[in-house]
Amino acid sequence: MSNTTLGKPHRSDPADVSSSIYDVVIVGAGVSGAIIANELSQTGFRVLILEAGPGHDLTIPGYEQYLSRFYASASKDNNAPYPRNRNAPMPRSTDVRRLQPGEPDASGYIVQNGPLALDSTYTRVVGGTTMHWEGKALRMLPEDFEMRTRFGRGLDWPISYEQLAPYYRKAEFELGVSADVEDQAYHGIRFDPGYVYPMRGIPASYLDKTVARGLNGAEVTLRGEKFALTVRGTPQARNGVPNPRYDGGKGYVPVGAVSVEQVEQGERCQGNNNCVPICPVQAKYHAGKTLVKALATGRVKLLPQAVASKVVIDPGNGRVRHIEFKAYSDPGSTEHATGIARGRVFVLAANAVENARLMLASDLPGTSNLVGRNLMDHPFLLTWGLMPEITGTLRGTQSTSGIQDLRGGAFRRHQAAFAVSIHNDGWSWATGSPYSVLADIVDRQNQFGAALRRRLVDQVSRQLQLAFMVELLPDQNNRVTVDARYTDPLGNLRPVISYGLSDYTLDGIAYSRRLSRLIFQRLGVEDHTTYDPLDYAYVSYKGEGYTVRGGNHWAGTHIMGTSAKDSVVDGAQRSWDHENLYLVGAGSMPTTGTSNTTLTLSALSFLTAERIRGELDQDRSPATIAAA
Amino acid sequence: MSLKRITTLDELHNYLHAAMQLEHATIPPYLTALYSIQPGTNSAAFHVLRVVVVEEMLHLTLAANILNAVGGAPDLAREGFVPLYPAYLPDGETDFEVGLQRFSREAVETFLRIERPARSSEESQRLVRRQRVDRGLLPTFRAEDDSDLHFYSIGEFYQEIGRGLAYLQEEKAKSGETLFSGDPARQITPDYYYSGGGEIIPVSNLETAQEAIRLISEQGEGFGKRIYDYEGELSHYYRFQQLVLGRYYRKGDAPDHPSGGPVDVDWDAVYPVKTNACLADYPQPSELHAAAVEFNARYKDFLGRLTQAFSGRPELLLDAVGDMFRIRETASQLMRNPIPGTSGLNAAPTFEMPLPTET
Amino acid sequence: MHADQAEFQDFLSLSSVVTGFTAFQLQGTGQAESYFSTLIDILGEATVAALLQVFRRVQRETGEDAAALDRLLRAAIFSDEKLGPIARNLIKLWYVGTWYPLPAAWREAFGELEKDTTFVVSPAAYTEGLLWPAIGANPAGAKGPGYGTWSAPPRIPEV
Repeated sequence: MSNTTLGKPHRSDPADVSSSIYDVVIVGAGVSGAIIANELSQTGFRVLILEAGPGHDLTIPGYEQYLSRFYASASKDNNAPYPRNRNAPMPRSTDVRRLQPGEPDASGYIVQNGPLALDSTYTRVVGGTTMHWEGKALRMLPEDFEMRTRFGRGLDWPISYEQLAPYYRKAEFELGVSADVEDQAYHGIRFDPGYVYPMRGIPASYLDKTVARGLNGAEVTLRGEKFALTVRGTPQARNGVPNPRYDGGKGYVPVGAVSVEQVEQGERCQGNNNCVPICPVQAKYHAGKTLVKALATGRVKLLPQAVASKVVIDPGNGRVRHIEFKAYSDPGSTEHATGIARGRVFVLAANAVENARLMLASDLPGTSNLVGRNLMDHPFLLTWGLMPEITGTLRGTQSTSGIQDLRGGAFRRHQAAFAVSIHNDGWSWATGSPYSVLADIVDRQNQFGAALRRRLVDQVSRQLQLAFMVELLPDQNNRVTVDARYTDPLGNLRPVISYGLSDYTLDGIAYSRRLSRLIFQRLGVEDHTTYDPLDYAYVSYKGEGYTVRGGNHWAGTHIMGTSAKDSVVDGAQRSWDHENLYLVGAGSMPTTGTSNTTLTLSALSFLTAERIRGELDQDRSPATIAAA
Repeated sequence: MSLKRITTLDELHNYLHAAMQLEHATIPPYLTALYSIQPGTNSAAFHVLRVVVVEEMLHLTLAANILNAVGGAPDLAREGFVPLYPAYLPDGETDFEVGLQRFSREAVETFLRIERPARSSEESQRLVRRQRVDRGLLPTFRAEDDSDLHFYSIGEFYQEIGRGLAYLQEEKAKSGETLFSGDPARQITPDYYYSGGGEIIPVSNLETAQEAIRLISEQGEGFGKRIYDYEGELSHYYRFQQLVLGRYYRKGDAPDHPSGGPVDVDWDAVYPVKTNACLADYPQPSELHAAAVEFNARYKDFLGRLTQAFSGRPELLLDAVGDMFRIRETASQLMRNPIPGTSGLNAAPTFEMPLPTET
Repeated sequence: MHADQAEFQDFLSLSSVVTGFTAFQLQGTGQAESYFSTLIDILGEATVAALLQVFRRVQRETGEDAAALDRLLRAAIFSDEKLGPIARNLIKLWYVGTWYPLPAAWREAFGELEKDTTFVVSPAAYTEGLLWPAIGANPAGAKGPGYGTWSAPPRIPEV
């Protein structure tokens, strides 16, 4: 692994690419694309990956440039480590501002149509958004796949938890998940007998343990149903202590930093407290780890700085003929060459927003007209306060434990479920602490010297922040569209999003706030939660106001279903309309429950790779495709 | 102390104590070079040094596992465990100096010699009769005629441990006993110890003991004449050599001919720390002096915690890792502070312990 | 070095008093000279010299009396319309390696300065910030304290 050559020799020039026919053409070098490329190249197929962003990143010096940019950035937002790139722009939370009704805000890359401004982001570099993801790897609940049937809400998936379970196992291996299986069987989550995660659970933080001491066993009643609260370790895709019982006693070898040269780093989490936006030692999984394995087969071409611009369909049979792309050599200049990528199978793995954007820019809204619709994310409600004692802030991974007891239940007929994370990084997300606290003590509390230091400890090291990740159901009015008025410097249409919250979700948010008050009362936490009515993400509901943050869990823009009328793709993520086209990623998910989407979309990628392999196996002759 | 041919358990314990001391003795020189690198510079050198330090810790832990397995009691806190620098290692007919110095070409030359000392070509050369330096890191060898001999190099020292283990186990077996009667609860297992390359081996019998010896003695210089060791990992010697040759090794390369990407070394992006600094170099009283004393105290605590961890409390290794973090912070602070009265020399940790009484 | 050694020593002394860290600890960040030149670069030598001159006077007048030092610093520097915002910015510079723009009122009264914008002095200025050791933590993204250390109670230095 560590000696995989990943430098320039693997880059192809656009002309070279255009003259070849690949078995599979993948758009996007993120986690979905990497898994599919690896699975198919390992069994002998030739794969081309088009990546919009730069690709010099799979070396230690390349990675350390990200780190250095992060250190030197005054704003430490999700995309701070990744260079601004005019040709493949990225949404940044720092670009988001309050919307005026009826006035789209086009100042950032994503055009915001409202009603609610959404500060979610994604990252357009090799490795995709797994470069900055936090690494929470919770499976969805069995009931999440059957929302319509069980609760009369949202949509059912065309596949069940049981059908996805074998692929969850593959994903947990690929992503390198650390968790103790005995903590994770709740709300109907089932594991095969004898199954263990690749690595043991990441140790709970001192803060987690303090909260657990005060909270475990507390009972709450929601719509007549009783729930006992438990602080539970969160499965995380970062390296911990390998479990010798994994894979029937074969054990597991953690995958550390990706590098051309042999460098031992990142085989175990060091507690850098920076999973988002970049793990400095690569102890957290990112898609580059899978990509190097794919590239090592010698059958995968990665073409970075190539922005897919159009999916071209054969009008006769509806099949994809090729994908047009714009290749640029300098991120600072819009000078580019247009190329075409030809293959037997095409996979759009660009993420829910970019997949939909590309389809719509290619004038392919689908028979169902659902491309771009049902846009989802996980709205987050943050609540924060000061613990009665010093528990230490900004230590460990950003979150090690949470409360999962209200992820499921009969109440989902009426209101959204939610998962709760306990944050080891204090109020960072909510208030910009510790910077904001420092500024306040110096500028407003007028302290300096030893007194300043003592107040910092008192006001930072007791911080508790709870993040309530609330379910959002599919809604056709929440959507990605394109508009000829909004283009990027390469001339590609930019995504325009419309986004709002239903009462179902707002009831979940309101209850989250109530529950956090109960938790704080029980723990003796001094509640400091305030929501600023001037905040771009402020919403009023039933007499109370909340600030709702985005979760970067873009989903639902090409949902899977049972027919071309009710969905964009089938249960294996194949397009109903174009039989050699797959749209993969969280965009295919009809509901997302209360799980961070990466583990589930990774599982889906394994399922899809298996399906594509089956199809390619049926016809191994590329010539017939070229003629098609 | 001098060692004799291993014929008794006591003598084996002496050797294993000496092995732990030896494995530890290279850590302060490596740490000094590592911490002297200015942040954000010399990434290649930083990574090489970091891995080597981590693996020297692994060797130390392996030696402790062997000692525990044969009923010994590791003690890193005892007087004299940490040598005074500069110390000396044998390199065939001569000894070479191992000191505390900043990252530099000279330092890397020393590291190369540490990791691949000369090997005797003949069996009769494994022990040599020659002038002994003070502060030698390896004990002398007391021959049967009571004269002092010297191990040709570290390799010969470990060879004797390997031989002694096999011999004593054979002796024990004759009476139906085992040499490996130590409490298994004192073994450090992968659950508690983690290293980038090479896994910790719990020692419970002759095979695992020999495996541990092999890992200790081969990780430095490679396996046979190849650049990668038994685990497929680039050996320390060739890792360091990359810094001198300015190029990375790739799988399949011949020794001395790396074919990978360029290695950039900025020999100037290093704090100008005084070589083999000692407490007496720092004015008294001063914050600088106090910090250097504090560093040594913390380092001593760290060794004490390791001793506890190697004495049946392996979970303390996690705390020891935390100790290392704080030790590094103090070391960095020292290295950025000028020594008053010198022209441009900075301080450094002195690793003097116990603290010399005259201060 | 932009100014002579004596000025630099005064800069260190002032920095030590306002940050609550010793001169040894400040030098130990490796950032002292860089911050001193940053200050001069933004404010100009005259303003920095004026700040240090006031500080020297305060020091002379208070000697070893900590309470008096505190009182006089507030009187002569922290409540001074020109020097107060600079001193507060100096604290933040040491704590997080970042220069924040001076308040609008300051710029109105004393003029706009070309380099008075938000910036991180260098990547190392971030990782060597005093905020992190003050709260017993590592700067997010650097100096990871090691697997599992977060399970133990925090160790926060006494002041």
